Amino acid sequence: MIKIKLTGALHAEILQDLRRPHPFAAERVGFVTGRIGTLAGGRLILLTGYRTIPDHEYLKDHKVGARIGSEAITWAMQAAYHGRGKREGVFHIHLHGHRGQTGMSGTDSREIPPMISGFRSVGREAAHGIIILSLDHGSAWVWLPNNKEPVQAASLAVIGAPIGVFESGVSNER
Amino acid sequence: MSADRYSRQSFLGADAEERIARCTVAVPGLGGGGSHIVQQLAHIGVQNYIIYDGDHVEESNLNRLVGAKAVDALAETPKLHLAKMMIYGLQPRARVQAFACKWQENPEPLRESQIVIGCVDTYKGREELEIECRRYLMHYIDIGMDVHGKEPPVIGGQVILSSPGGLCMRCMGFLTDEKLAQEASRYGDAGGRPQVVWPNGVLASTAVGLAVDMVTNWTKKYRSHAYLVYDGNEGTLRDSHTLRNLKCGCDHYSRVEVGDPALIEL
Repeated sequence: MIKIKLTGALHAEILQDLRRPHPFAAERVGFVTGRIGTLAGGRLILLTGYRTIPDHEYLKDHKVGARIGSEAITWAMQAAYHGRGKREGVFHIHLHGHRGQTGMSGTDSREIPPMISGFRSVGREAAHGIIILSLDHGSAWVWLPNNKEPVQAASLAVIGAPIGVFESGVSNER
Repeated sequence: MSADRYSRQSFLGADAEERIARCTVAVPGLGGGGSHIVQQLAHIGVQNYIIYDGDHVEESNLNRLVGAKAVDALAETPKLHLAKMMIYGLQPRARVQAFACKWQENPEPLRESQIVIGCVDTYKGREELEIECRRYLMHYIDIGMDVHGKEPPVIGGQVILSSPGGLCMRCMGFLTDEKLAQEASRYGDAGGRPQVVWPNGVLASTAVGLAVDMVTNWTKKYRSHAYLVYDGNEGTLRDSHTLRNLKCGCDHYSRVEVGDPALIEL
């Protein structure tokens, strides 16, 4: 079982950034860093920071919502490398602009996992992954150290005011 | 469950029932304060609990331990059992992780919670809980009471909210090195502290109120911290004067020092 936590301030910072329109890309993406904690019978991923991707680091590609260039990827690879001592991993994050549960689109499942393999190759002791937020929910897929396949996080909890607990398979919609 | 069950608390928000049910609350310490807290959490609809207490009921607990009966002192009923009976009596489907020990002896389950309501007796115990809460991202709500002096005795107490990224108990002036040192020097000499049921009730109710606000945000206060001081002789609860002119950030806990400690290569 894997659970993810982040503070309300970090969640607000991420949402604010990802909701900004881009000059040409249909959506924005970003990277968050996270460290591992031990749970009874599982792992906790505690998110520590967010890195916005500057406008000029996006590439024009109308086949996908957003494509980022080598500068953005290099930053993430370096973050994974420098995070080794702290066991701090890198998570690709983006927003699906609807309410309720989110899942990986076909493009997400095709395009993002190869990037995570790159992070794992330089930061083997950390957890890396993919987080997809909606306006009031969120889902995550985590590659733990030594695991070749990702595991979907059971929940993503926002520790703020109010607290948000987004459980996998449970919609918060009314 | 009947739709009427929570109809009288519908002012908490349209989705309050679901928010409260999804939240996980940990209560380390099920004595005078903790017994009130689990009772109220069960009433308001909390479904996920992580509770700790290794003690059993003694006769000297009966003046304040909610749910305890005279027979429990005779039978040496574990306080954990009383708490579980209280929770399951109100919430038969609740998920209760119960541990007959101090939380420090089995800290991993605690980390699953979003809120920890600490009902511990010592400054050291409070500091240890706050450190754990910062490290594993949990709101920490502390309650405590004490009786000082004799002519007349003065009942004092506090309810504190310490949230990750917000002001901590040191920032708010509640925890100091002097208090910790004084307590350490009295170690083994503390004896049984005076405790009565009604201040525990006031403080526990206030703590549960803060917890509900953190889950539902019904007051729209968007709290990141709170330090309420209880005067049991006057019957008042006020913001601590130490909150005046405080700066915004916390210097005591780093935002990134979270999770399991890792060895750093030098």
